[in-house]
Amino acid sequence: MLKNVNKSAGVALSMALMASVFAGCSGSNNGEAGASSEPAKASPSASQSSSAAASSSAAASAVPAGIDTSKKVHLQFYMLGNAPKDLPKVEAEINKMAQEDLNATVTFNFTTWTDWDQKYKLLLSTGQDVDLIFTADWTQYQQYAKKGAFQPLDDLLPTAAPALNDFVPKDMWNAVKINGKIYTVPATYQEYVTNGFVWREDLRKKYNLPTPVDIPTFEAYMDGIKKNEPTLQPLAIGSDVRGSLNDTYLDVFRKKVGALPYGMFASYDKPAEMTSYWGSPEQLEDLKRFKSWADKGYFSKNELNEKATNQEKLVNGTAAAMLGDNPTRFNQTNGNMKSLHPDWELGYTPFAVATGYATPVHPIHNGFAIPASSKNAERALAFYEKMVLDKRYNLLTQYGFEGTNYTVDGGYYKMVGDANTNGFPREGMQGWAWRNPEFMLFEPSYDGVKAIFDQLDKVQKPDIYTGFAEDYTEYQAERSALEQVEKQYLFPLLAGQVKDVEGGVKTFMDKAKKAGLDKIQESYKKQWLAYLSESGIQ
Amino acid sequence: MPKKYGFVQELIKNRTLFLMLLPVLAYFLVNNYVPMVGIYYAFVRFDFNTPLFRMDFIGLKNFEFLWRSGKLTELTYNTIGYNLIFIGLGNALSVTVAILVSEVKSKWFKKITQSVLFLPYFVSFVILSVIVFNIFNFEHGVLNTVLKALGADPVDVYSKPKVWILLIVVFYLWKSFGYSMVIYLAAITGIGEDYYEAAKIDGANTFQRAWHITLPMLKNTFVILLLFSLGTIMKGQFDLFYQMVGNNGLLYSTTDILDTYVYRSLKVTFDMGMATAAGVYQSLFGFTLIMVVNGIIRKINKEYALF
Repeated sequence: MLKNVNKSAGVALSMALMASVFAGCSGSNNGEAGASSEPAKASPSASQSSSAAASSSAAASAVPAGIDTSKKVHLQFYMLGNAPKDLPKVEAEINKMAQEDLNATVTFNFTTWTDWDQKYKLLLSTGQDVDLIFTADWTQYQQYAKKGAFQPLDDLLPTAAPALNDFVPKDMWNAVKINGKIYTVPATYQEYVTNGFVWREDLRKKYNLPTPVDIPTFEAYMDGIKKNEPTLQPLAIGSDVRGSLNDTYLDVFRKKVGALPYGMFASYDKPAEMTSYWGSPEQLEDLKRFKSWADKGYFSKNELNEKATNQEKLVNGTAAAMLGDNPTRFNQTNGNMKSLHPDWELGYTPFAVATGYATPVHPIHNGFAIPASSKNAERALAFYEKMVLDKRYNLLTQYGFEGTNYTVDGGYYKMVGDANTNGFPREGMQGWAWRNPEFMLFEPSYDGVKAIFDQLDKVQKPDIYTGFAEDYTEYQAERSALEQVEKQYLFPLLAGQVKDVEGGVKTFMDKAKKAGLDKIQESYKKQWLAYLSESGIQ
Repeated sequence: MPKKYGFVQELIKNRTLFLMLLPVLAYFLVNNYVPMVGIYYAFVRFDFNTPLFRMDFIGLKNFEFLWRSGKLTELTYNTIGYNLIFIGLGNALSVTVAILVSEVKSKWFKKITQSVLFLPYFVSFVILSVIVFNIFNFEHGVLNTVLKALGADPVDVYSKPKVWILLIVVFYLWKSFGYSMVIYLAAITGIGEDYYEAAKIDGANTFQRAWHITLPMLKNTFVILLLFSLGTIMKGQFDLFYQMVGNNGLLYSTTDILDTYVYRSLKVTFDMGMATAAGVYQSLFGFTLIMVVNGIIRKINKEYALF
């Protein structure tokens, strides 16, 4: 008898263990399985009348007639960065509305900023349930689209999101096309993310230094800072010397058309004349200038190992200037600095002053796409239309709850409490992509950014670089090898830490050629020229 | 004459035991063996819209980036070299300190030493890297501030690759030896008091007791720890190297290991094939290593072998 008890107890125990092992696997499917058993309800007309109180624009509140919403679905929405504290409350409210309008519910997922690029890659390549995901040029939208990671939206848009289809201008839809197909819904808010000089204006006034407008005046400013404030580092670069020194320098000094990779160079004025910047006399000249900056102590000898961000260093008062930041972030840095040091001040000159042109942000810069693995493409698109065009959805996901998270004061956005106590700061969900210019609320301090934008509007020219989708399938091994060579041999040169610049360039070029530089450059150039002629750019 | 049991009879006889084993088997099958199918990714051209087994087979092309820059040997050499030093010095140090601590009579001193040595284990590598940067920074690091105050010339540590071999080893030991020391300490506590008493009666001093009793008794623990660390020799300590060296190409010749290299290569591309290829290379290498070493140990003394 006792023996039997023991035995059955053992069986029970092992079954329990087994159940706990598998419990983890079933969690993700719960939403959908539970949902489908619920009776289908919410006919489009009924839901519309019940939400009549909404102040949304007329076109947006109508449920698209073209899609079948009889079956309930659960959408997985993915955004980069960190989730705001009050996200669960916002999500619950959104779900209440979406359930009524579209017979759908949604989970807002966030990747956090730690290793977001790895997570992004995995989300798209493992066939996980993702229905909507953020896209941008800096998340490699063009390459992913080209490789088939997203679903083409051309046929879906008129039926699933007709209002959104009309809302986004035709030329923007065209601009995001990759191989003739639309893969992402672009944001329509026009802003500039072009760079400009950032510097400590209070110190400039104090020592009567020139206002940086181009490289020579910027040099003079740094020189003045070094002389008058020997302990203050004039220029903050950080460990990404390629991005925040070389690219920005080429942008303002040589009018490079965009951040072309692999040492390729083409100017904005003559994009078709593509040459190799690496190994050219121009590169040697620039590297010598960087070295002279390092030698004069304009930046640290250990810039490559720097941990603090450039903006932090400006705010903390450990550095005086930055070579290139966009107007919005400059404004943010300035605000942060003033809250800590009210008597300090930052100055800003857009690179456009030196180059004579500014390119408004390319539609690819902020968008949302439907991954190839999504099974609910129609509903996802319809939901996204709501996010953009329905004022209730839009305001809630951009600014949180009015009264709890923010108030509107004289047409301006006003945060309740401060960034630490507020559970949903302005654009707390990183909702750059579903910004709707008609509903947007700004803080008074943003007027400074708007003034810069107005200035840039006068010299605006189209961005001709971002629309290019490189296909590196043919040279992907070479590309990875080259990245290594760059880090090992070019970065120290950029940071001015190689004594013999000529010799350093020679070593770098040798290694780069061995890694397959010629093959990469040749293929890249061919694709670039094909792109230019295809899109009619001279 | 003992009757030989077949597998089926064995299964019937011990069915409860096997049933209890099932969850564990299922766990390993689901989490460790089924995913191995993914190794096939290393040999195909990755495509978002094709199921794995219908993707184009491209042989070893995905492995190409590993030797393309001619760095594979240097990387393998660095990786193994560092790990051998870590394993060798790490074990030697923790055994020594464990014996020393175990000899201490005062209970509170023992506890405090143990905790103090164990604490660095919980410091994240990110924080460690910030500490290191603040010590060795050329312009305002602690080291150079002290040097300048003493009237000496400041040194730029971040441009001297050779120094970093030492620094990385030192910080590795600082951070991790407390952990294995605690394991050894536990093993020492498990050794019966009677051995030591007998030795004392025979007139053995502390040193002799440690050498002739404690060390031989620790051999088993040592061998197991050694085998465990050998298995991961190709993939250990990514954080340490990545955080300490980061983007500084000047130091790569002595500090680049496979993990950091692969991470940097694949950060710029999203190809699953190449990422898998790198993983397969590391795993095969680790597998070979552990089989060889275990084989050797089994030859010498069968009881100490892992399997």
